[in-house]
Amino acid sequence: MEDLTKVWTWTLDVAGFHLVFNATTIVMTLIIMGLLIAFGWLATRRTGLIPNPFQIVAELFVDSFWNLTKDALDEDMAKTYFPMICSLFMFLLLCNWIGIVPHMEEPTKDLNTPLGLGIMGFFIAHYAGIKTKGFGAYIKEYFEPIFFMMPLNVIGELAKVISISFRLYGNIMGGSIIILVVSHLVYGLIIPPFLYGFFGVFVGTVQAFVFTMLTLVYISVQVK
Amino acid sequence: MEISGADFIRGLALLGAGLAMGLGAIGPGVGEGFAAGKACEAIGRRPEEAGLLTRTMLVGQAVSESTGIYSLVVALLLMFVVK
Repeated sequence: MEDLTKVWTWTLDVAGFHLVFNATTIVMTLIIMGLLIAFGWLATRRTGLIPNPFQIVAELFVDSFWNLTKDALDEDMAKTYFPMICSLFMFLLLCNWIGIVPHMEEPTKDLNTPLGLGIMGFFIAHYAGIKTKGFGAYIKEYFEPIFFMMPLNVIGELAKVISISFRLYGNIMGGSIIILVVSHLVYGLIIPPFLYGFFGVFVGTVQAFVFTMLTLVYISVQVK
Repeated sequence: MEISGADFIRGLALLGAGLAMGLGAIGPGVGEGFAAGKACEAIGRRPEEAGLLTRTMLVGQAVSESTGIYSLVVALLLMFVVK
């Protein structure tokens, strides 16, 4: 149980502020970014009609997410937002899967990563809404049914960020806690690999997909 | 046996964590089962759309799971943050 609350931190005192950095999250995020950059380099190094294995995987990602983005947004807008959507999914997938490797922790186990990505999606969606509809029409949306519904609409927009980030965080954190508790109960025999298969691979994939799809849906709701 | 105030708060926090998790799991359980049942009906009616239906069902279930996840987060806060 003591593994659960132990956090490796870096502290920094700048101008009277006591800053605490969650070192595990930062290091794991940097590792994942390095892996993704290496994957991109390997996939685009020698592209050709006879693809190498990395190019096949990259084409799979790009093809399926291009279709999804094109269905949700229209064609020219999809060209703008498709790279963000696809790389968000690949980043989250690797984040959720890396807990399977021993001594590696999921960055999404820390609330800061999902919350940061959720706030990023919020700003991107509202920027897209302002850019397509114009500022006046964007503001007018908040007063939509009657004018005093404005506070409810604002709270509803802010609640989207909370809901999307807590969903990802709770799933990954809950899964890792269940794995830890059950592994302690059975002394690490037989059961943990299957738990990693379910909570790491299956739930991780579904939650990464859901996070990406919801970010896309929020953008398309603002744009409509 | 003496029970101090801190012990009392700790005990009530653990009790609250159990209640939050147990009661909060009812809704998502019923909802996800309903979604899976409806998806089964739809696949029985149109088996060729099984891939699309399964994907939509999984996304919908993951979204309706979020209330259960909120109660999990509340239970974790009660267990590890309330001292």
